[in-house]
Parts: sequence; C-alpha cells; structure tokens
Amino acid sequence: MASASTATPATTAASPAFTFSASTFQKLHPAEYFRKFVSQGVRPDGRLLNGFRPTTVHHGVITTANGSAMVRIGGTTVVCGVKAEVAEPRLDAPDQGYLVPNVDLSPISSSAFRPGPPSEQAQVVSEAIHRVLKESNVLDLKDLCIEEGKAVWSLWVDVVCVSYDGNIYDAALTSVMAALGNVRIRNPTYEEGIVKVSGAEDLSDDNSFTLKLARTLSSATFALFDTNLVALADPNFAEESVSQGRITITLDEAGQICALSKIGAGASSPALLRQCLGHARERAQELRQLMKQ
Amino acid sequence: MSRVELLSPEGLRVDGRRPEELRKITSTTAVLSQADGSAYLEHGNTKVLAAVYGPREARHRALVLHDRAILNVEFNVAPFSTGERRRRTKNDKRLLEMASFVKQTFEPVVITTLYPRSQIDIYLQIIQHDGGTLQACINAATMALIDAGIAMTDYVCACTAGWVEREPALDLNHIEESSDTSEVTIAMLPKSGKVTLVQMESRLHVDKLEDVLSLAGKGCKHIHQVIDKTIRDRAEELARKMAV
Repeated sequence: MASASTATPATTAASPAFTFSASTFQKLHPAEYFRKFVSQGVRPDGRLLNGFRPTTVHHGVITTANGSAMVRIGGTTVVCGVKAEVAEPRLDAPDQGYLVPNVDLSPISSSAFRPGPPSEQAQVVSEAIHRVLKESNVLDLKDLCIEEGKAVWSLWVDVVCVSYDGNIYDAALTSVMAALGNVRIRNPTYEEGIVKVSGAEDLSDDNSFTLKLARTLSSATFALFDTNLVALADPNFAEESVSQGRITITLDEAGQICALSKIGAGASSPALLRQCLGHARERAQELRQLMKQ
Repeated sequence: MSRVELLSPEGLRVDGRRPEELRKITSTTAVLSQADGSAYLEHGNTKVLAAVYGPREARHRALVLHDRAILNVEFNVAPFSTGERRRRTKNDKRLLEMASFVKQTFEPVVITTLYPRSQIDIYLQIIQHDGGTLQACINAATMALIDAGIAMTDYVCACTAGWVEREPALDLNHIEESSDTSEVTIAMLPKSGKVTLVQMESRLHVDKLEDVLSLAGKGCKHIHQVIDKTIRDRAEELARKMAV
C-alpha cells in the first residue's frame, strides 16, 4: 500500500486513463475547450476573436425568381429568392405594396433541425429581418403600387437555409439585400380591373423596372462568451451553442445604426459594445464590397 | 386559343432539343458541410439539392425496426422555385406522394439490414423547377447516399420520357410537361436493368408505351454514365488527398 501511494502522484498525471484526445475533450467539456482557446486569443477554427469567416455572394442564381442571391459565410449557405406577385392593397394603405420576408431553416441544413412547422428560431429571424427592412425604410412601398386602391406588387422574399453553421441572421440579411438589389420586374399595365404583365420578350430596361433601395443594410453578429464577456465575431454553430449571449449590429452604408440587439448573458459593458461597433463598421464595409454586382 | 407548338416541322422541341436528347446534367457531391452525404444536381434548369443524414438513432422509438434501418424522405420546394409562387405546406399531398415514391424506390436498393434500429434521412430541396422533379430528386438522392457511404446494391437512375405530338421524347421540360403530354418516369438499376419505379399519371396508348419505356430506359443508362463519372471523379480526388 505504502509503495503504491508513493508512486501515484507521478503516474496519475501521465496515466492514459485521464488524458483525452482534443476531440473527446471538446465533446465532454465544450465550454472548457473553448475557454482554453479563447484565453490564448484564438478560436478552434484558427480565427482571431474578431475574425469573420470567408464570405461569398453570388447574384441572380435562380432564373425562376425576379431577384435572387446565394450567400456563403463559412459553412453557412443561404439562398434567397424574391418573387413578385400582383395583390390587392390594404384598405388603410391603398398605394402601398407588400414586402414579406421569410426564413426557412429546413432540416436539410443541419441535423439540429427537425422537419415540421417553422421553428422558433426561424420565426425570430424572419421577424427580425422583417422589422429591420420596415423600420429603416429600405424600400418605399409606394414604388410597388400598380393602381392605387386596386393592385400592388407583393414581394415575397424567401430565404432557404441550405447549410447551417451559425450566424443565420447575417447570412439571411446579406442574401435579402443582395437579392433585392437585382430584382427586375416586368412593367405592368392596368386596364379595367385586369393587370397585364408583358409577355415573353427578353428583359430590358424598357420593359421592366428595378427597385430603388434607400439604403443597403449589413450586419455583424458577435457571440458573448463566458463571464468576462469576450465577443466572438461571426460565431459558428459550435460557438453559438456554448455562448451565453449575442450582440447583433445592423448598419447602413452611412455607418448609421439601423438595428441593435443584445440578448442573453448578464450585462455587457459599454466598452465591449463600442468595440463590437468598430468591428461591425469594418465588416459592413467588406460586405458592401461583396454585395456590389 | 393558341397552343404551344411542342415539335417544330424540323422535328426540334421547344428548347431546341432533338426528341431523344437529354438536357445538360451537371452534378457535384459533398456540397454541404453539415450533412453526412450531399449532392447538388442541375438537370437543365431544374436544380435539386439532396442531403443524407444517418444512419442515426431513430427519432421515434415506435418506428424502430429491430432488424433494419428505416428510410425517411422529406421533400421541400423553395417558394421561389416555380413560375408561380406557391406556399406549399408540409402536408401537401402531392409532396407527400413524391416523398413516398422516392422512399419506395430506395427501400429495395439500400441494404438496410446493415443498419438495424436506426434511421436514414434523405432530405430533398428543390431550388429551381423546370420539369422532371422526381427524376432529378432520385438521381440526386442516389449520389447523396453514395456520398454518405451507405451500402446499396446498385445505383438508382431515373429518367422521364413522354409522347410529344407524334413521337416519343426523352426528358420533358416544364412546358412540355404542362401541356397535356403523357409522361412516364422510370427508375432503373442500371447494372441489372431492373426497374424499381414506373410512374405515369396520364393517358397513353398501349401501343406507344413500349417505345416510351425503352426510350426512358436508354435515358437512365445515359444518366448513369453522367452520375458515375461524378462519383468516380470525387472518389479519385478523395483517394489523392488521403495519399498525401
């Protein structure tokens, strides 16, 4: 017994039973695994704390839609399609069209999503995008009027998430802005209660119109990690699941804040918010470059 | 009422193809980072994404089969994929029917007994629709299953053919499909030549059936070559990467 106890301190440390591979450690203690990285100022995927993942924007990928875009942010891929349909205006706004964004987080995009009615997360993102588009007057809904009180355009903005690896809001908003930017709708004519849309000839400036967007929105999301509240830019799925809160900043091209939300995890300091705002400005610049066609 | 001329006097179709010509097929596998297997297939202007998750623990314990895996197929049509925007609900009978076709096509081909008490999910997303959705979905699902490394006895290749005006035509597009043309979709195991699915919902004269079926069969063989090339290229690429 005595001889065994003298040997223990040295052997326990090196004992294979108590050492895990990095991937096992990550599964057992995801938060601790992250803490080890973050304390060194890097993240498991090699990014710095304020680093965003590589982002690409493709315009006009869907030919059946009036406007479309595909956006990739790291492992997150979304496709956005805009369809214009003739609709009847509301009685209290006879000269205004509709702009209806919707985000679909289908089970194809991640094993975390189940088939069935839209999840809470999907509805929250849809509503957030709806609000930011409406509140910051991105599009004058009067531009969508065909005949006052009779017919208006209804723009259905559908975002389908194809691959989900965190930060859906940034990806969805970027795709919505890019898709709205390349919307082209055939000129309608209104005659005696019937809206006619010109037929099969190729689209050109003469027979169709584009949307006048008052501003281009771009957003940056940061995950708040741990009690000392480190902000991780553009969190992926693994980082989202260990984070305690989130800051999302939406800016327009003039650098004005169009939306700001901070949810979860205690109080964040004004200094942290300022720091995030600085990074969001840089990110907005980068995204605007990408959104240009 | 003017009718669309589906076959020109020179014998060319609305999109300029000859009757026995397929549309251009481009495909890639392993396009999604989250899924266990995935494939993207463009069949002319029809674009389909397939993802396979599993074999994994079955979601509902009641469904578990003790000696084999269960297949689950879910269909999703992007609202912007069709000419007319239509909100398709999850319970749309047409979609459920399509999902059930795909499921039954793969059940005899996937060696489910290798994965007892588990579930294999096949998710299909239609991104753009221009006719031949079922064939594109089956072909994409085959590739995604192969990409996921799920054991199958053979490829499943699907192709449509129909009777356009005066002769059989391969691979109908949306215009041809929607103008009262009879259309047959068949799914074949190209090695054995066995047919796992034949599906037709319109009237076709019995004498014409043989021609249409044999044409669709030829189409399947051709599609098999295209898919097989993509799969082999991908496998070679992986082998090269592993050798380094």
